Amino acid sequence: MVLTVTMNPAVDREIYLEDFQVNKLHRIRDYTKTRMSPGGKGINVSIALSKLGIPSIAMGFVGGHMGRILLEELRRTSHLITTNFVHVDGETRENIEIIDEKRHTITEINFPGPEIKKSDLEAFLRRYRTVLVRANCVVISGSLPLGVDEEVCAELVRMAKESGATVFVELVPSIVEKMLLAGYAPDVVKLDLRESGQTFFSRELETFEAHVDIAREIASKSKLAILSYEVKNDIVALDGEVWMITAREEIDLSHTLGAGDAYVAGMVYYFLKHGLKPLEMAKYGFAAALASTRMKEKTWPTLEAIERELSFFDLERVK
Amino acid sequence: MKVRDAMVYDLSAVFEDETVENVIRMLSKQELSGLPVVDREMRVVGFVNEEDLIKAIVPSYFSLLRSASFIPDTNQLMKNLVKIKDKPICNYMNKVPVVVKEDDALIVAADYLIRYGFRFLPVVNDNMQLLGIIRRIDVLKVVLEGREEI
Repeated sequence: MVLTVTMNPAVDREIYLEDFQVNKLHRIRDYTKTRMSPGGKGINVSIALSKLGIPSIAMGFVGGHMGRILLEELRRTSHLITTNFVHVDGETRENIEIIDEKRHTITEINFPGPEIKKSDLEAFLRRYRTVLVRANCVVISGSLPLGVDEEVCAELVRMAKESGATVFVELVPSIVEKMLLAGYAPDVVKLDLRESGQTFFSRELETFEAHVDIAREIASKSKLAILSYEVKNDIVALDGEVWMITAREEIDLSHTLGAGDAYVAGMVYYFLKHGLKPLEMAKYGFAAALASTRMKEKTWPTLEAIERELSFFDLERVK
Repeated sequence: MKVRDAMVYDLSAVFEDETVENVIRMLSKQELSGLPVVDREMRVVGFVNEEDLIKAIVPSYFSLLRSASFIPDTNQLMKNLVKIKDKPICNYMNKVPVVVKEDDALIVAADYLIRYGFRFLPVVNDNMQLLGIIRRIDVLKVVLEGREEI
C-alpha cells in the first residue's frame, strides 16, 4: 500500500481566462471554465495513482468547511483512496490558479492554511506510525502548514525507513537539505532548485554544472535524485551516473499544472510493478509528466497515455 | 451488492487510551456522532458515540425519573464530565464492536444498522483492522442511485 503525506492540502480552484489582466473585472459565464478539486502534492499523487489502479492512504491535516469539501471530493474521486486526516481548528487553504489561455501563463495564489497545534501534530504522528505497517511506499510532498517545523519531515522519513518502506519526497529545498544533512535520506528525491538565488549544501546554483554536481551529491545519499532544470528537461542522478532527460517537443507552460505530481506517481507506479530501478523509474515518471502536459487542465494520465510518451523524449548521459 | 460498494474508505478513529475530552473534541470537529475505537495495530476494539458519553455524565438515577424538567441547570453534568474527562475512552465505549467486512452483502450492514440502532458500522479486514465505515446514509444513497440489487 502507498501512503501519501500532504501536511498542507488545499482545495484547488482552476480558472481559465482569455487575456487575464490585473486591476480588471473578469466575469466567468461558462462553468466549464472553472474547476474545483482536492489538491496538495501528496493528494495529487494519490489521485494520479488511483487512475492507474493503485490504492493509497492519504494523510495530513484538514480543517473547517474547506476541509470537509476536500474530503468529500477526494472520496468521490476514487474508492482506491483511503482518507486518514487529522481534523484541526481553522480552515483548509484554497489555491487559486488563473490560467490564461491566450498569454499562456499561470498565476497562482496560495493561501497559508490552518495553524497546527502541538497536540494535532502528536495525533498525526501517532496515526502515521500506526498506518506505516500497511505501507511499502511512502510519498511525502508539498509545503508545511504553520506550526509544523521542517525537522518533522526528517522524522517522517526516519520512521518510514525504519518500518522498511521506500520513501519518495518532493519538498521545498530547505527541508530536503536538512533531512539529508541529518542523515535521513529518502530513496527518491525530486527537487526544484530553479528559484533565483537558490543555494543547496551552501553552494550557488547558477550553472548547469552546479545542478549536475548537486544532483550527484544527493544521489550519493539517496538512490535517485531528479532536479528540474528547464521546462522541458530534468537532471537525473543515480549511483554515480548523471543523465539529462529532455522532451522532444516544446511544452506549453500553461499546461504544466500537476505535472510534477504525475511525475512522482509515475515513478511510484513503476517501482510498485518492477522494483527499485532508478533510471527506469525516472523515465516512467517523465513520461507521466509529459502525458499530463498534453491537457490544459490538471489531469492524471492513463497507463496507455504514459506508455505512449515513452518515445517522446531523449536521454543523454552527462556525467 | 457488497459493503465495499457503499462504504467510506476513511480511517478516522480514536485510540483506546484517548481521553474522553479529546474524543468529544474530535467528534465535534468532524461533526460526527461516533467513531470506531482502535488499538495500536488499528484493530477495532469498540466504538464510541455521543449517546455513550451523555449516558456517562447524566446521573444514573435519571433513568428512574419520568421527567428531568425540574432539574434546574446542567451543573451536575459539568461536574460529572470533569470527573471523567481525563479518563480513557475505553472505559465508556461499546466493547463488543459490531463490524462488517468489505465483501459482506450490503443487506447485512443494513440489517445491523437497524437491528442495533447504530448510525454507522466499522468495516474491517480479516485481522479486524479498520478499513473504513458504512453509515445509514451510505446505504440509502446507493439504493437511491438505482443500485437496487440489495
